[in-house]
Amino acid sequence: MTSMSWRHGMHISAVLALLGVAAFPIYWMLVTSLTSSAETFADVPRLVPDLSQLPIYNAVFSTTQIGVWLVNSAIVAAGTTVLSIALAILPAYALSRLQFRGKGLLGLCLFASQMLPEVMLVVPLYAIFVTLGLLDTLLGLILVNSAFTVPVVIWILKGAIDSVPVELEEAARVDGCSRIEILLLIVAPLIAPTIAAASVIAFFHGWNEYVFALTFVSSEGLRTASVGLAGFVGELITPIETVMAVGIIYTLPAITFYLVAQRYVVAGMTSGAIKG
Amino acid sequence: MASIKLAHITKNFGSVTAIKDINLDVVDGDFLVLLGPSGCGKSTLLRMLAGLETISDGAIYLGDRRIDGLPPSERDMAFVFQSYALYPHKSVGENIGFPLLMRYFRWWFHIPILGSIAKRRVERSPEVAQSVTRTAKILGLTEMLNRLPRTLSGGQRQRVALGRAMVRQPEVFLMDEPLSNLDAKLRTTMRAEISKLHRNLKGTFVYVTHDQVEAMTMGTKIALLRDGQLQQFGTPREIYEDPANTYVAGFIGVPAMNLIRSRYSDDGFRIGPAAISLPERLMAAARKANGPTLLGVRPNALRIGRSDVPDTLQGTVVLVEQVGAESNVSVELAADAMSVEQDQSSNTIIITTPGYSELEPGTLISVSMDLEQAVLFSEKTGERIRD
Repeated sequence: MTSMSWRHGMHISAVLALLGVAAFPIYWMLVTSLTSSAETFADVPRLVPDLSQLPIYNAVFSTTQIGVWLVNSAIVAAGTTVLSIALAILPAYALSRLQFRGKGLLGLCLFASQMLPEVMLVVPLYAIFVTLGLLDTLLGLILVNSAFTVPVVIWILKGAIDSVPVELEEAARVDGCSRIEILLLIVAPLIAPTIAAASVIAFFHGWNEYVFALTFVSSEGLRTASVGLAGFVGELITPIETVMAVGIIYTLPAITFYLVAQRYVVAGMTSGAIKG
Repeated sequence: MASIKLAHITKNFGSVTAIKDINLDVVDGDFLVLLGPSGCGKSTLLRMLAGLETISDGAIYLGDRRIDGLPPSERDMAFVFQSYALYPHKSVGENIGFPLLMRYFRWWFHIPILGSIAKRRVERSPEVAQSVTRTAKILGLTEMLNRLPRTLSGGQRQRVALGRAMVRQPEVFLMDEPLSNLDAKLRTTMRAEISKLHRNLKGTFVYVTHDQVEAMTMGTKIALLRDGQLQQFGTPREIYEDPANTYVAGFIGVPAMNLIRSRYSDDGFRIGPAAISLPERLMAAARKANGPTLLGVRPNALRIGRSDVPDTLQGTVVLVEQVGAESNVSVELAADAMSVEQDQSSNTIIITTPGYSELEPGTLISVSMDLEQAVLFSEKTGERIRD
């Protein structure tokens, strides 16, 4: 019994330590945002937030366009998520279930596309965007972000579809489903947890993306939060507490999305489908 | 009319031929059992009937309609899978009603919210709801309509799978070893239930199994397959009493039929040195063979007796298995009298004696044979020799 409780205690301590490592930067960001400029560079740093500095959050909203940037980021991230899942689920199904020539090569190419650094593609993509008139639009950002997330999402969804028993699809075929109906009515609900996980990845990619957002969008009103946030870092002066306050505001919607999505990331949906 | 005709069905997987030129005629209302060991192609044949597998050559007819080019949903056949294949995210009621829902399904049912409302309306419509309720009642699933498959036991899941097949009222039921995942007791119960279902629904059933007890008890016709080839097609009684070759003889019956090496020559019919007098029917067949033959005798047609009776074989008891109501006695025949069991030769035969046998291994005994039901095969080809 003592050995059990000792191990339990160790377990809890380990979890708390990891939680501390993960949560400390956010806490530090919060404390710094609520610290006056004078105190920020003091020899002994402040460990407890100074609540009298709270109005800085009001000030951030009134003096910057953070509200607009957040909406832009949300549009880009949500658009990337929806487009990535919609575009990825069909090839994922094909790669998992259908036999065709060049299947292995196609899968490999999807992997290979992940090896190209984004920066390398900025110039060619810029040229293409000029031609297509996609420069300075959020749609352009959604498209370019999706181009990077779709291969990853395809591989994630393919793995999940592989684990759906083929008998279920055959049963559905006998029951009168077409391929697309099998995918939407039978397979998609069963891989919902993986779709949720893939959505988190796509959403965060869209939310965090910086290089393309900086290069392809120039209008102030179409700026995303990642670019807006970086804009505070000046050559000579960086208002640390403002940057940290914006940072906190920038993080919150992403955390909220994750908390909503992770509820669906539960295992065991296919149990009971076939024997056992 | 739900008669099924398979004409010259062949299936190749690459260079491997899984099914070789199979011809079968299944009459409306038949319960056909496709029987054979694992890998004999019986499941492949069933899947080709369902449309889950394409055929390489030949034709399949349902009544007068050729169906081998049709997708599974247009063949009016329901399929019960070995693994049940229930939709895990749907309740028992939704699982049973799914084939009916698909009948009314339109593309716009995929639109979120609007589609959900439309699907619910179909599921609650009188014809769908009543069919589901009626089916559930027949199968004793009424209490479980709202439960998910994972909360059900194996037998209940199997019944849901049957319900999903029944609700469509198809012309043909296809079942792929539906009882193989159940325990022995439940299997016996479900066997009776499926037979009852067949009598009540009066549909045509095609049932795949490797279990000869299921085949003999449930089937009105049995097609015995081996390596993708049809060995024999007939009623259970024909298959048991009148096997077409040594394979069928060895496959059907527990314990299997004894195949004893024998020979007909000018000095009569002999097993080893012993001269055996045959009934006239068998003697005519033996004369026709005029050479080495295999005499097929069921274990229950053999008697352990005294050695001074004519027409007996000598042997030594090697094993006695008590099965309860009867005992299976394995007897090693004198070295020059050989039996052939399936593909391997041995000189051991099995005798079934009623009650509890007190014989000890090592005892020398004589075996007398009742040859009224015996059959004769060519030793060379394994084919039956008829008079």
